[in-house]
This record gives sequence, C-alpha cells and structure tokens, in this order.
Amino acid sequence: MEQIGGREYKYGFTTEIETETIPKGLSEEVVRLISAKKGEPEWMTERRLKAYRHWLTLEPPTWAHLTIPEIDFQDIIYYAAPRPPKKLGSMDEVDPELKRTFEKLGIPLEEQMALAGVAVDAVMDSVSVKTTFKETLAEKGIVFCSMAEAIRDYPELIRKYLGSVVPHTDNFYAALNAAVFSDGSFCYIPKGVRCPMELSTYFRINAAGTGQFERTLIVADEGAYVSYLEGCTAPQRDENQLHAAVVEIVVERDAEVKYSTVQNWYPGDREGRGGVYNFVTKRGLCRENARLSWTQVETGSAITWKYPSCILAGDNSVGEFYSVAMTNNFQQADTGTKMIHVGRNTRSRIVSKGISAGSSQNSYRGLVRVAKAAEHARNYSQCDSLLIGDRCGAHTFPVIDVRNRTAVVEHEATTSKISEDQLFYCNQRGLTTEDAVGLIVNGYAREVLAKLPMEFAVEAQKLLALQLEGSVG
Amino acid sequence: MELTNRIREAGFRPVAGDALRIDATEPTAFLAENPGTLAVEVAAGCRAQLVVLCGAPTAAELRIVLGTGAALEAAVVFLSEAFAEISVVQEAQSSCRLTTAQFVSSEMRCRIGLEGRGAENELKGFFVAAGTEHCVAEIRTEHRATDCRSDSTVRGVAGGAARGEFRGMVYVAPGAQRTDARQQNRNVLLGEAARIETQPQLEIYADDVKCSHGATVGLLDGEAVLYMRQRGLSENQARSLQIEGFVGEVVSHCGIGPLSGLLTEAVAAKLEKM
Amino acid sequence: MLSVKNLHASVDGKEILKGIDLEVKAGEVHAIMGPNGSGKSTLASVLAGNEKFTVTAGSAEFLGRDLLSMPIEERARLGLFLGFQYPVEIPGVTMANFMKLAVNEHRKYRGEEPLTAGQFLKLMREKSAVVELDSKLTSRAVNEGFSGGEKKKNEIFQMAMLDPKLAILDETDSGLDIDALRIVATGVTRLHTPQNATVVITHYQRLLDYIVPDYVHVLYKGRIIHSGDKTLALKLEKEGYDWLINDYREE
Repeated sequence: MEQIGGREYKYGFTTEIETETIPKGLSEEVVRLISAKKGEPEWMTERRLKAYRHWLTLEPPTWAHLTIPEIDFQDIIYYAAPRPPKKLGSMDEVDPELKRTFEKLGIPLEEQMALAGVAVDAVMDSVSVKTTFKETLAEKGIVFCSMAEAIRDYPELIRKYLGSVVPHTDNFYAALNAAVFSDGSFCYIPKGVRCPMELSTYFRINAAGTGQFERTLIVADEGAYVSYLEGCTAPQRDENQLHAAVVEIVVERDAEVKYSTVQNWYPGDREGRGGVYNFVTKRGLCRENARLSWTQVETGSAITWKYPSCILAGDNSVGEFYSVAMTNNFQQADTGTKMIHVGRNTRSRIVSKGISAGSSQNSYRGLVRVAKAAEHARNYSQCDSLLIGDRCGAHTFPVIDVRNRTAVVEHEATTSKISEDQLFYCNQRGLTTEDAVGLIVNGYAREVLAKLPMEFAVEAQKLLALQLEGSVG
Repeated sequence: MELTNRIREAGFRPVAGDALRIDATEPTAFLAENPGTLAVEVAAGCRAQLVVLCGAPTAAELRIVLGTGAALEAAVVFLSEAFAEISVVQEAQSSCRLTTAQFVSSEMRCRIGLEGRGAENELKGFFVAAGTEHCVAEIRTEHRATDCRSDSTVRGVAGGAARGEFRGMVYVAPGAQRTDARQQNRNVLLGEAARIETQPQLEIYADDVKCSHGATVGLLDGEAVLYMRQRGLSENQARSLQIEGFVGEVVSHCGIGPLSGLLTEAVAAKLEKM
Repeated sequence: MLSVKNLHASVDGKEILKGIDLEVKAGEVHAIMGPNGSGKSTLASVLAGNEKFTVTAGSAEFLGRDLLSMPIEERARLGLFLGFQYPVEIPGVTMANFMKLAVNEHRKYRGEEPLTAGQFLKLMREKSAVVELDSKLTSRAVNEGFSGGEKKKNEIFQMAMLDPKLAILDETDSGLDIDALRIVATGVTRLHTPQNATVVITHYQRLLDYIVPDYVHVLYKGRIIHSGDKTLALKLEKEGYDWLINDYREE
C-alpha cells in the first residue's frame, strides 16, 4: 500500500466515452455493456454479473413503513453517465423557486450556478480550490478519487474492500447497485494519517452527475482519521427518480471516521408529485478501538429508505448515529440505524430526531444487537419525534436483541408537538410564526446539528427552517 | 401446583361458561380457570375484579368489553404453557387495570382498544423465564378516541438459556388528540445463554399527544448492590433481592384480594431456583 | 480497633489518599474534617471496601484482621458500618426484607441463630424509635421516595439494627434541617458505648455539638495534616482552614 499514489495507468482505461445512453432495461448484456463502457477489468465485470444474477432472485423489500409505488426496473436507463448535466445558459433560465431557495440559504452565486446546472466553466475559483486540495492530499498519501479511477489505479484495494462491508447479497437495492453502479467516490487514508481537511464530494468535479447508482468506499487504515462530507445543503437538480446508492466504510484498528450527510434531493411538489426515491445502504465495519460516527440531516427525497449502520466487530470499538429527518407535504421517510455489537466493550449511541409536518410520514427504524461474545457492550438510544400539524405521522420501530448478560442497552423515545404557548411567547417577542417554528425546530435538533462540521451546520439550520415554510398555519 | 391451589382457595367466585356479564356496582372478584374462550362484559358504570388462571396447557381467547364509566381490575396468570389472546375494548371514561404474570413458556397477545373519550388503561406485567423457556409478551395499545390515557409496563427476567420477547405498540389514530400514552419494558438477563428481544414501537397519527416509551436490557443498578453489601449481604443475595424487587414493583400494582402477595412469593420461589 | 498506616488509594489512576495514618480505639469518637475534595469520603469508601478505589500502598487492620483483604460484605459483618453520604434508592426492595436479610447475615457470621419473624419485627420497632423513624417507612422500598432527612435517619436506623463495632458516618449531617440534625445526632450518641467507636466525617462544627469527639483530624489533599481535641473543631469553625493549609504549604 506504500505504492499508492505513484501507480501507473494500467488497464487501457479510456475516459473519452461518447455521451450516449443505452436502451432501457436491465439484462446481462446491459451489465456487461456498463462495465465495458467504463473500461473495467474482467474481475469487475464478473463481480457485477454475479450481483446481477443474485438480484434477479430478490424482491424489493416491503417491511418499511412506506408506500412505494411499484417500480418498473425494466423502465430505467441504467447507463447514462458520464453525460454532463444539462447546461443552462445563465441563471435567468433557472427555476425561480430554486433561485429563491438559494438566496434564502445564502449560497454564493458561483455555487448556485454549479448546483442549478448552469455551465460553470467560467468559475475558475472552485477549480483552483480543487487543485490545491488534491496537492495537499497527495502529500499525505491520501487517495481521493472517483470509483472508476480507483478500479483502474488501485485494484488491490478495491478487490480487498469493495463489497466487504455491504456484499451484493445484502439486500435488493445493494445487489442492484453492485450490478450497475455508475460511479462514486473512493477514499483511502493510510496508516496513522490524519486527513487535514474535511473531504467532500462537492470538491470532486466528477462527483457531479454520477447518477442514480452511486458507490462510495472509504477505508481508514490503522490509526487514521477522516471526516467525510456527503452532499450539499442546496436542493440538487436531479431528474433521476430512483437512487440506490451504497456507502461502505472500513475503519481499521484505532482509526476514526466521521461521515456527515445533508440530503436534500427533490422531495416532490406540495401535492406529492415527483421527487426522488432514495434507497440507500450505508454501513461501516469497525475493528479494534475504531470509531465510526454517522451524522445525517435528511430533508429531501419523496421517499427515504436508509439505515447507516455500524458493525462493531473489534473490541472497544464505538459506533454513533446522529440523525435529523424532516418530512413535509407528502414525503415519506423510514430511516434509522443498526448497531451490531460483536466485540467486547463495544459502545454505541443513537440520537434520532424526527420532524413530521404536512401529510408526511416519518419513521425511525433501528436495530441494536448484542452478540453472545460482546461482553460489557453498551448502547444508549434516544429517539424523539416532533409533530407539526394533525395530518402527519411519526413512528418509532426499534428492535433490541441482547444475547449477553453483561450488556446494558437503553432505549428511550418521546413524541411531542410545538406548543401553542411556545409560539405565542415567540410571537409576543416579535417573531413571525415561521421564524418561531424554525427556531424551535433548530433547538430540538441541536444535539445532532452540533455534530456537523460548522459550515455544514449553519446551512443545515437554515434548510430545516426553510423546509418547514407554510407548514404552520 | 401450589399457587394454583392457593388462588383457588382465595375465595374468588368461579366463572362458569364462556360468557360473563357484570352489572354490579359493588365489585366481586371472579376466577376463570383455563378458559377456552371467554367474553366478559362490564356494563356501564359497573365494576368488577377478575382473575384468569392458565394452570393447564391452554389456548385462551379472552374478550373484555368495558361499558361507559365501567371499571375492571383483572389479572392473567400463566402457570402452564399457554397461548392467550386478550382483547380489551374500553368505552368512554372506563378504567381498566391489568396485571399479567408469566411464570412459564407462554405467548400472550394483548390488544387494548381505547374507543371512548377519556378511557384509561394501566397494565403491569412480568415474565420470569428459566431453563429453555420462551416467554412472549405482546401489548398493542390503540388510542382511538380523544383524552385517553394508557400506561404499560412489562418487566422480564431470563435465566439459563431462556428467551424473553416483548413486542409493544402504541398506536394513536388520527384525531385521537390529547392522548397520554406510556410504555416501558425493562429486562434483566441472568443466564449465560439467555436472550432478550424487545420492540417498543410507536405509531402516531395525531399531533397533540404525549407519548413515550422506553426499553432497557441489562444489569440493575450497581450502586445499590454495593450499598446492600455494605450492610452485610453477599453479592448474590444483593442481586437476588434486587431482582425480586425489580419484579415486585410490578406485582404490587395488583389489588385483587391476596393475589399480589401470592404472586410475590411465587416469583421469589422461581427466582431462587434460577 | 482500627489501625490505618500510610494508606494510599487512587481512582482512575488519580491518587486521592496520599498516606493516611489513623488509630481508633474502642469507646472513642473521632471527627474528620477538611475542605471539599480533600479525600474524606474516599477514606470512608476505601475503608468500607468500595471496589472503585484501588489501594496502592499502606495497611489497615480492623479488630486485628487485615481489613483491606476482605470483601465489602465481610468487613460489614465483622462490624464496620458506613453511613452513606448519598444513600442509594433500591426500587422494589422493602426495608423490612432488606434489613431482615442483613441482620441475619450478621448473626450467621457470629454463629448466632437467625431471628424469628416476631423477634425481627420487635427489633425493628425498637430501633426505629431511636431515630424517630416513621414505622411506615420500613414497609416501603429502601430509600425510595424518602426525603433527605428520612434517608439520613434511615442510615442511623440501620446502624442501630446492625449494632456495629465501628461506624463511619460520611457527612451524615449534610442536608439536614436543625430538628433532623438533632434527632440523627442524638441517635448516634445513644448508640455509642465503651465497646464501639465512631468516626464522623463532617464539614461543620454543628454536628459535633451533639456528638462530642475525642479527637479531631484535619484532612487536606489526601493527608491528615493536623490532629487535636474537640477545641480544634471550634477553632476551625471560627477561623476556617486557611491557617492550617498555609502552614502545610510552608512545610
């Protein structure tokens, strides 16, 4: 692994694929075609095929508290990348609603253009940011590149780690992703290295438009540290309906990974038309003394099905899950975590804050399992729900399974609403009801927001308030 | 079994047949032994006490209806392997206190429907599973009217290679405003191969509600053990006393004749053998 | 009765006691005073056998036996009683059950027959009078829902029930109003005999108005920096600890 960084171009990989799409539908040929288009080596093609064949034997999961319209998997185009997003000529062509949102969030104009899909070739700043960024990382021996590049340049690492935490047999969508994943990010932090900056997909130009089947792999080798940011607080323009991403994290001995997400895909309109289906499998494996912390702020997507999890395999490893999930209008979210305690003295902590408004349905679903060998495992879970309005639903579905008598597991949940008294008090001090709700909701979610890197947290706060507009009468 | 006999001798009035209608305002304590199907109706404004004893392998179906303002205190005791489905339907302003006691492998499914405004339900249950026993306690509480209150507590002890399962659900229907619902499940694992699974769930479709649930699996307070040892108890003595107290808190809730005392003794006797 | 020599103890790697020497003989009352954080409660916990603390050096003999090698309950049965600063609540465990078990364990240790239910109830009634403890409290769960004053009375009630050789009372006066303080202190005095001994850990002189000490020790930073008779407590009340601490610093 010392050789990472100076590796040569090996597999005749070509990045100059014509912009084209293949016909709708999924078959072995399509899987082969995707792999060929991406110039992948034979072993990768075989992996994809194996996943595809397994996927054929599976049915979409139905256990979540979600109403999912039937998805015709033969009606989806599985290869459209690396098509650049549709470029708009200028900000004038951008949807006024989207522009208003950007302004409220206080996003710089350049970023607005990039996010809205306006041609950003002229935005030199962000390019230079990217360059300095890459140089700093290279000095430390940190690898941060697209999955396609990684398959080409770091095949040993990919063969060792890809699918090691989320195998293609894991679930329906993980199998689908393993078969057809478009691209994604790969990140490797060598032994003992602390990544000096937060890694964000935003900085990687080819992260944009990676499409619906994104694949992320993060490996923190022994004693390494990295904080990784996924997504962006601004609403991403996206035409894909189905997103089935997989994120795998390997946290080796004494290493630490913080993974933060702000998910704000298109949630559909006020009547519940359109919007992204976000069916994501995220999981990390912790070795001895390792620590993995998931923080997520979920405000977008029409349907969210997502359970970032930790397998605490090594002794003394620690898993954390901090989540704010907000749903409004006709959004549905079924999200939570799994903490699997295998090693001794493993500890986990779950803090989940659900906020439901409008006619939305918001569920926390969690599993805490203490295996027989997990002596002195410890878990604490706190799941709170806040209801705004009488048409929404807030649900909690935890499962606790303990097979070791020295373990201590505690779960608490409460449900509440924003009280008239609180609103009246704020109104009396001159706040509008919307501002008051924003304030109260942010206070409610503070414990989770505090876990986000600072700039992210500020934007997430604004986002929560914004997302609730019009939900309080 | 001794407890069976002692309950029989406690002077409760036996229930005959598969239906019991209560229309007295002075409460009488009834005893139903190994009922197959039993329908109990407490008429509006009336009150009663009822002990259901599963002393022989049973598949029991118990349907309880409480009329407006009715009050029932009931206990269901499992002394033999049994499968029991219990449904309690409560009209406005009615109140029901339930105690459930699972001493052996058994599956209890309890569905409580608060159908009328201002109904109240309080349930306290426990299971003590040893050896390879498997106890399931399922409590589904449905709030279907405004201003209802429910409070359920189930405590479980699993020794040896026993399994304990708690499946709780508080369901608050749309419009069931000012619901006050609480659900608690606490468990202690004593056996090296014992297992506890707990699912304390909430499904809420109304916003003006106070709902909370909690579940714990694990050791009891270590400070308390230290305290008791300072007073001269061995660690084992301190722990068994603590576990007796852990179950005892639930048992003492039962106010039907001498039942609480009888159950307490039976719990101590079972724990002693674990 | 109790002979502590050069006792060092630490918690989580931090040394709290840095060489304590203390001799307590039958019939004596000792008071241990000192500012917050000086190690008074730690000393009590270590002598009682709280496993949270690690003894790193020194020795302690109690009634001619090596105290430090005994588990907590054996120390208790041998006659060492610790009155807790914060008595623990034990849900669901009634005072009566708890005390019956404790009393009979003590008796068994001494080779005596267990008490019958009747004898035990009589003893409970008799001893609860010592601290004017409401007899209703004995049917409740241990310390659960007790007021601050009731908890402290309950400690002295248990001391009366167990009749220890050596009672170490850790801040038994804290959180008591003047009436409760009088009742608790009078209770302790009544239990004092030429055959037993009492070590009172306190912040204030006021408890010592009732329980008159033969010796007063000042504990500071894990060491006894000064010992004297009861007049020392009065001087400390008037002048505080500064004069002693300053002297100590100069050393």
